[in-house]
Amino acid sequence: MTRMRVLTLLALLPIGGAAQRGDWPMPGKDYAATRYSDLREITGATAGRLRPVWTFSTGVLGGHEGQPLVVDNTMYVVTPYPNVLYAFDLTREGFPLKWKYRPAVDPNALGIACCDAINRGAFYADGKIVYNLLDGHTVAVAAATGKELWKTRIADLSQGETTPVAPLVVKHRVIVGASGGEFGIHGWLKGLDLETGRIVWTAYNIGPDSEVLAKPGSFQPFYDRGAELALTSWPADVWKNGGAPVWGWMSYDPDLDLLYYGTGNPAPYNPDQRAGDNKWTASVLARRPEDGTLVWAYQFTPHDSWDYDAASEMILADLAVNGRPRKVLVHFDKNGFAYTMDRATGEVLVAQPFVDVNWAKRVDVATGRPVIDSTKLTGASRGNVKDVCPSLEGGKSPASPAAYSPRTGLFYLATNNMCMDYQATQATRIAGTPFIGANTPYHAGRGGHLGAFIAWDAGAGKKVWQTTERYPVWSGAVVTAGGVVFYGTLDGWFKAADARTGEVLWRFKVGSGVVGNPITYTGSDGKQYVAVYAGIGGDWFLLAGDVRSDDPADVRPPADFMPDIGRHTSQGGIVWIFAL
Amino acid sequence: MDLRPLVLALGVSASCRGREATPQARYEARVFAGGVAPPAGAQQTGQNPFRGDRQSAVEGERTFGVMNCDGCHGGGAVGWVGPSLRDGRWRYGGSDGEIFQSIYYGQPHGMPAYGGLLPPGAIWKLVTYLQSLEPPANVPTQSWK
Repeated sequence: MTRMRVLTLLALLPIGGAAQRGDWPMPGKDYAATRYSDLREITGATAGRLRPVWTFSTGVLGGHEGQPLVVDNTMYVVTPYPNVLYAFDLTREGFPLKWKYRPAVDPNALGIACCDAINRGAFYADGKIVYNLLDGHTVAVAAATGKELWKTRIADLSQGETTPVAPLVVKHRVIVGASGGEFGIHGWLKGLDLETGRIVWTAYNIGPDSEVLAKPGSFQPFYDRGAELALTSWPADVWKNGGAPVWGWMSYDPDLDLLYYGTGNPAPYNPDQRAGDNKWTASVLARRPEDGTLVWAYQFTPHDSWDYDAASEMILADLAVNGRPRKVLVHFDKNGFAYTMDRATGEVLVAQPFVDVNWAKRVDVATGRPVIDSTKLTGASRGNVKDVCPSLEGGKSPASPAAYSPRTGLFYLATNNMCMDYQATQATRIAGTPFIGANTPYHAGRGGHLGAFIAWDAGAGKKVWQTTERYPVWSGAVVTAGGVVFYGTLDGWFKAADARTGEVLWRFKVGSGVVGNPITYTGSDGKQYVAVYAGIGGDWFLLAGDVRSDDPADVRPPADFMPDIGRHTSQGGIVWIFAL
Repeated sequence: MDLRPLVLALGVSASCRGREATPQARYEARVFAGGVAPPAGAQQTGQNPFRGDRQSAVEGERTFGVMNCDGCHGGGAVGWVGPSLRDGRWRYGGSDGEIFQSIYYGQPHGMPAYGGLLPPGAIWKLVTYLQSLEPPANVPTQSWK
């Protein structure tokens, strides 16, 4: 690593905190969302000696997405609903709790959250742990004591809004969004004051320019021209329930002062009810964190007809593209294409499929638009459209963020090898109830395996290696300077692989399927540790309801495309820590 | 039985006074489908007037889709983010009147109250549809080879 790059990484640490180099202070490790650590004690030669050193049951059974934080020898863990926050003292034997914080959370959120009661984690800034409760509140808790500092209502359950997203904190602004693409919400992003929790600005993702904060002179998308794009690309009033939730990951470039995030699907799933491009659903938006001003936006899937949310992370990297060094943003979309974009302008430089894709033939980088196969267009008027690839679980799920190693120059990600039939039906918006309008059974893609873990060259738009997995892969990744990449599987294996070849070096069965994101950090003894949650859930709680054992009044058949996952895992919530 | 007089007589309220700064959260409210509260006074018990009627079950199945019940309980009520309604098992009771109550007034883990949108007859037909679903043969045992 060059001296310049170290300085850049240090500059990306959050303000005012005590975060050290071996810490993990925010969901993506750094503002560029790389999930890269320069720790190197665990290498290809030593990874085989990894062993578990500590476990902790969270006492909660929902899907354990997200990741712990480690700051100043303390590990912070947020559980799924009821969103308990645990603080473990990493300086003492057995890592006992310093404190735990148990917020009051409205249990009605369980029925308004589309896809299990998950939480994607917290953010450390200025001595505070900031995170969202499922029922539409953001809280700040003193990292030292566990005392609640403020609690702000940001979302409205009665309109179908829930808040599993992890916040991003930039310059005293806490950036938050809401889920609800399956409930017909009017999607937004909000900026709160870090000291008080006051809502400073609200920026809608769809609607008139005045609400989208697309100001004349400031808003300059690369491909689109004209005003009121997020209004005129919809039928009258339909945008008011048009979705565009914010449930994935955010990143930030301090040099450009731009905040990046992706929006989810348009509502409802039946595209016949919303003619037009439906901007800015299934899009990436770049905003000023201070006041929310929109600077550019790009829509990956215009008039999305397949539930291809663009909520996946936007990883910021400096890459050579066509022989030229570029400041890029790399995004692996549910729609199956990997995009390498100029992050200053929103220009698409490379867009290539990273899984089997048949809804579009390619992306035309000159216009920015996909070249769609019209036989795969869906809608209530088109009946049952067979064999669309990828399925709406995504070529990659936004729930499982990728990692980028500046040492190998490669991106590492969990992928799904699934296709779907898509039968859209007319949907009626009834506030507080689902607004979907589609039946979408899945089947395995080419080869019969349901998932794979891959390495991707984003400058060239090419897959470098692939390890197939029997089940969909739904875990995030972390990659290290030691040349090791870590990920988990749905049937509960946690794996270390060689970052250059993909060879699996070590694996351990962690007690429940992994849908969370591993991290690595330096312990108080100076050693390198790796932590991950076990706890199957999220969409798999819905799709494979037979992994549930806690409710005698809820007994379900297995998923037809994955009938034996219940043989290998049940729900559970466990924090694991490994070391040499 | 209302325990409040007993609790007051025991002086528990005085010992709780120090906790007034952090009042206990009470979430008794339900989500109202469409934002419309159900009228009070729905029957607490009662027999389904359409029990076993096939045409009512068909109408109830249609309502199950139109009112977005399938968005949480899954197509065919097999379970999704909400519990299965076709496994012959009930969190809040499976009698005619208990199922009616759950739909009319909602339930506290996010089941919206539909009593403000649906007339009692339509709710009874939903009950009829759910009662018409046969539990799968493999409940409660699941085995693999």
